[in-house]
Amino acid sequence: MHRIALVRWLVLVCSLFCFNTIQASPLKVALALSEEREVYLAFESALRNSLDSRQEIQILPSGTAAQAELIVAIGAKAADSFSGSSIPVLNVMVSRAGLEKFRRDSHSESSGIYMDQPMERRFSLLRAALPQTKSVGVLISNTSPQLASAKQLSSASGFRLQIQTVSTPDQLASSLSALLADSDVFLVLPDAEIYRSDTIRNILLETYRQQVPMIGLSQNYVRAGALCAVYSTPMQIADQAARIVSQFARTRKLPDYQYPQEFEVAVNTQVARSLGLTILSAEQLRNEIGERP
Amino acid sequence: MRWFWSSIQILSRDLDNYSTIRKKFNLTGKGQGGLIFLHSSSHKLLLATLAMLPFFSAVQAAEDLDSEQAFFLEMPVVLTASRLKQPLDESPSAMTVIDAEMIRASGFRKLSELFRLVPGMYVGSQNGHSSFVSYHGTTDNYARRMQVLVDGRSVYLPPFSSVTWDNIPVLLENIERIEVVRGPSAASHGANSTQGVINIITREPGILAPDQLTVAQGGNGVSDLSAMFGLNSSVMDQRLSIAYRADQGYDWSLLNDDNRTRMLSWRGNYHPNAIDNFDIQLGYSEATRGEGVVGRASSPFRDTQSAYDYQQLTWTRSLDMAAELRVNYQHSYVRYDDLQTHIPESFRAHRHDLEVQHISQWHPDNRLVWGVGIRSEKAISAQMFVVPAPTLAQKRVFAHDELRIGDAAVVNAGAMWEDDAMGHSNVSPRLSLNYHLVPNQTLRFGTSLAYRSAATVEEFGNTGLIADHPVWAQGGVLPEKMLSREIGYMGQFPDIGLTVDTRVYADHLSKVIFVDPVIFGAVYNSFKNMYQVDFRGWESTLKYRWNEYDLLTFNYARQHASCASDGLPTNLWHPAIQAGYSELLSGCPKMVPVNSGSLLLDHRLATGLQLSAGYYFQDEVQVLDAQYAQSPMHRVDIKITRAFGKRDEVGGGEVSLVVQNLFRDSHTEYSSIPQQGTPNLDRRAYLLATFRY
Repeated sequence: MHRIALVRWLVLVCSLFCFNTIQASPLKVALALSEEREVYLAFESALRNSLDSRQEIQILPSGTAAQAELIVAIGAKAADSFSGSSIPVLNVMVSRAGLEKFRRDSHSESSGIYMDQPMERRFSLLRAALPQTKSVGVLISNTSPQLASAKQLSSASGFRLQIQTVSTPDQLASSLSALLADSDVFLVLPDAEIYRSDTIRNILLETYRQQVPMIGLSQNYVRAGALCAVYSTPMQIADQAARIVSQFARTRKLPDYQYPQEFEVAVNTQVARSLGLTILSAEQLRNEIGERP
Repeated sequence: MRWFWSSIQILSRDLDNYSTIRKKFNLTGKGQGGLIFLHSSSHKLLLATLAMLPFFSAVQAAEDLDSEQAFFLEMPVVLTASRLKQPLDESPSAMTVIDAEMIRASGFRKLSELFRLVPGMYVGSQNGHSSFVSYHGTTDNYARRMQVLVDGRSVYLPPFSSVTWDNIPVLLENIERIEVVRGPSAASHGANSTQGVINIITREPGILAPDQLTVAQGGNGVSDLSAMFGLNSSVMDQRLSIAYRADQGYDWSLLNDDNRTRMLSWRGNYHPNAIDNFDIQLGYSEATRGEGVVGRASSPFRDTQSAYDYQQLTWTRSLDMAAELRVNYQHSYVRYDDLQTHIPESFRAHRHDLEVQHISQWHPDNRLVWGVGIRSEKAISAQMFVVPAPTLAQKRVFAHDELRIGDAAVVNAGAMWEDDAMGHSNVSPRLSLNYHLVPNQTLRFGTSLAYRSAATVEEFGNTGLIADHPVWAQGGVLPEKMLSREIGYMGQFPDIGLTVDTRVYADHLSKVIFVDPVIFGAVYNSFKNMYQVDFRGWESTLKYRWNEYDLLTFNYARQHASCASDGLPTNLWHPAIQAGYSELLSGCPKMVPVNSGSLLLDHRLATGLQLSAGYYFQDEVQVLDAQYAQSPMHRVDIKITRAFGKRDEVGGGEVSLVVQNLFRDSHTEYSSIPQQGTPNLDRRAYLLATFRY
C-alpha cells in the first residue's frame, strides 16, 4: 500500500510538473534554413502558419538555435550542420538518400520527412495513368536506394524493369537512347547525378523524340514536359511537420522517419495528347491512387 | 559575308572551349578520371589511382548535400507548345511522316529522292543535280506549288518561287523527321502552300548524340563526306555540320551534269533561363555544277556556280505549359552564275521574313494560334529583269483554332489573309473535323482554300531579245486558286502492328498560270492565267510492323486529272499557239501518273545486320515542259548494313552497301532535251560508312 501511494504521488507530481512546464514554458523550436531559397522559404512560412496557432510551441528567432529544444532543419545543408548537435532534429525537404546518410552519422535524436514519394505510390500512379505499360525504364548512376523497391514493385506489377547505368556523363546519351528503345515508360528515380539542370533538357528531348512518356518527380518536371508526377506541396509537408512538432511537445519523442502523407498528382495533358495517350485527369488519378487522408 | 566569318570565329572559340568543358567535367569527378593529367607522365601513378577510385567518391559528400535538388530543379519548359507535334489522327490535313529510320532504310543520298516515299508525290530531275518535287501534277521543272520549310524557314525562293533541292544545306543523317502535309495548308503554314507543305525538321542540338563522320564512295563518281559535331552545356546546345557531296550525274553521253557541293551549317540553341529559348541557325552552301547538252550549240558543256546562305533567329518565350510567344526572323540569299556561255546569266535573290506567333490554350478544349508576318522578296538579274523587278513586301495575318468537342471530335478552323504586294489580297480559310469513331479509328472531313501568288519572273520577267527563250511578262496575272475537299480514314491496330491511313480527295485548281507566247515583232514568253484542273484520286499508306525486327511501309496513289480553259492565250489566232493550247488541255490527264507508289521493307537481324529494300513504281507521266512523256517506271533499291560496336554510341557505327536500280529496270527521267532521248538511271552502287566518336 505504502509503495503504491508513493508511486501515485510521484505520478501526480510528475504530471503536474510536466503540465506546468508546458503551460509555463512552451517547447522552443528553431527553424533552420539551408539557404534563402524560394522552396525553403515557402516551406518555412507554411510551417510558421501551422505552428503559430499552437499554444504549446514557441518559435525562436533565428540565430538562437542553441537554446532550442527541437530544431526543424529545412534542406540538406541545414540537416548537415545540425547532424552533430545534441538537440533533437526534425529534418524536412531532404531526399531520402540524403537523410539516410545523416541518420547514419547523427548521434542525436532525429527524425524526418522524406522529400521522396514512396515507390508504392509512384507505381500506383504508373498503373493508373498508363495501364498498358509492359516495361519501365530507369537510369541510375550508382546503386540507388530506391532501385531495390523499384525492382520489387515492378515484378509485383508484372512490369519488366529496364535498368541502364550511367557511370560517366558522356554515357548519358547512349544509355538513355538504348534504354528508351526498350521502354514503354521512363521513370525518374531521384538521382542528383543524372537529373541536373544541365542534363534535364537533353533527357526530356530524347524521351520525347523516342515517344516515351516520362514520370517525373515534381510539378516542375510536369511543367517542363514529363507526362505526370505525384508530389507533395511544401504546404502539405509543413502540415505533417507541424503535427510531428506538436506530438514532440507533448511526448518529447520523435516518430520514425517517414514519407509525405498528403500528395497531389500533376498531368501534362498537352504532352499526353501529343504522344497519343488517353489519360485520366490529375484529379481522377489522385483519387485512383488513394483517398485523401 | 561578314556575318559568316564572324560566326566561324565564334564557332572556333567554342570548339576551343569544348576541351576546357570536357576537362571541367573530369575535374568534378564525373569524367573518366583525370584526362588533364595525361600530358604529364610523372602523374601516371596518380592517374591509375584516380581511375581505380569509385566513380563518384570524390564529390560524394557535396552531391549528397544537394540530393534534394532533383526535386526542386528549376526546369525550362522543354516540350513547348510548338515543339509538341499533333498526333496524326488529329491533324487537320492528310500527313505523311518520313522519320530518321525510313531515311536510313531507303538508302537515298539526296533529300529530294525521299519524297518517293510519299503517296501522290512526283520526284523529277532535270539532270543529275537539279531535282524537283511536286504533288498532283501541273508541274514543270520549277515545281512551285508546295511550301518547303526547313526548321520553319522557307526554302521556296524567288525569282522562280521554286526550290533548289540540291543546294539546301541539310544532311540526311541530321533529319529527325519530315512532315509532308498533303493538301493546301495556308491557315497553318502560310502563303504558297497551295498543294502541300514539306516540313523538314532537323535534330535539335539539345538531343545528345556522339559526333559522327560519314563517308560514301561509289559508282558514277559518288564521293561524299560529312561530319557532325555537337557541344552541349547547361545554357547552350550547338551542332556544327559540314559536308561535301559530289557525283557525275546521269549520263555523260547526253549531259554534262557533274556536280560538287560544299555545305556548312551551324545551329545553336541558347536557353538562358526557364522560359526563354533562342534558336540560331546559320548555313552556307556552294556548288559547282555542270550544264550542257550534247549537240546543242546554245548549251555547251560548262560549269555553273551557285551559292545559298541563310540566317535564322527564333525567340520562343513560354508563357505557360501550353502557351507561348514566338518571334522568328530569317534571311536567305541565293546566287547563281552561268557565265561560260554565249548568253551569260546570273541572278541574286534575297528573302527576309519576320513573323510573330502566339499560341494560347484559353480553355482545356480550345487552342488558338495566331500571328502576323511580313516578308520582303528581292530578285536581281540583269538578264532576267532588264527592267528591275520591285522588292515585294508581302504581309500576312493568320489564326487557327483547334476545338475539342467531347472525346470524339476535334474541329480545326483557321484562315490566313495575305497581301502579295502585287495588287492582290486573299483569304485562305480551312475547316476540318476529325471524328474518332472509337479510339484509334478516325474519320477526317476537310475543306480548304489556298492561293499561289505569281513568282517574280511570272509577273516581272523581262529578258530582252538576246535570250534563247526571250521572256517578257506582261504582268497582271492573278493568284492561282486551290479548292480542296477530302475524306480520310486512319486506323491503328496496335495488336497486330498495323496502321492504315487513306483518303479520297477532289481538288480544283483554277487560274493556273502558264506560258503565254506573245508576239511583238518577235515571240516572247509571257505568263497568263490560262487553265483549270480537277484532280481526283485516292491515296493510302499502310505500315505494318509484325515484329520488332521488321517494318513494311506501303504507299499507293491513284490519280486522275482533267483540264478546262480558264483564260485564253493572247494570240489564240496564231495556229501554232492554238494547237499548243489545245494540246495542253487534251494532254492534261497525262500530267499525273494513274498509279504510283512505293514499298519499303526494313528487316533487322539480331546479328547487327540490317537489310532494306525499296520498290518504286509510277505509270506513264508527262511533265508539262518535258520533251517526252516518261515511260512507266519501276525500280528496286537495296541497302545492306552491318553495324559495328554499339551502333549509335561512341565507338560505334555502320558500313552499308547501297544498290540503286538493282535489276536495271527502265527508269527514264524527266527530260527537256529534244531529239536526244531521255536520261536513264542505270544501276549504281555506293558504299557508305559512318563512325561515331
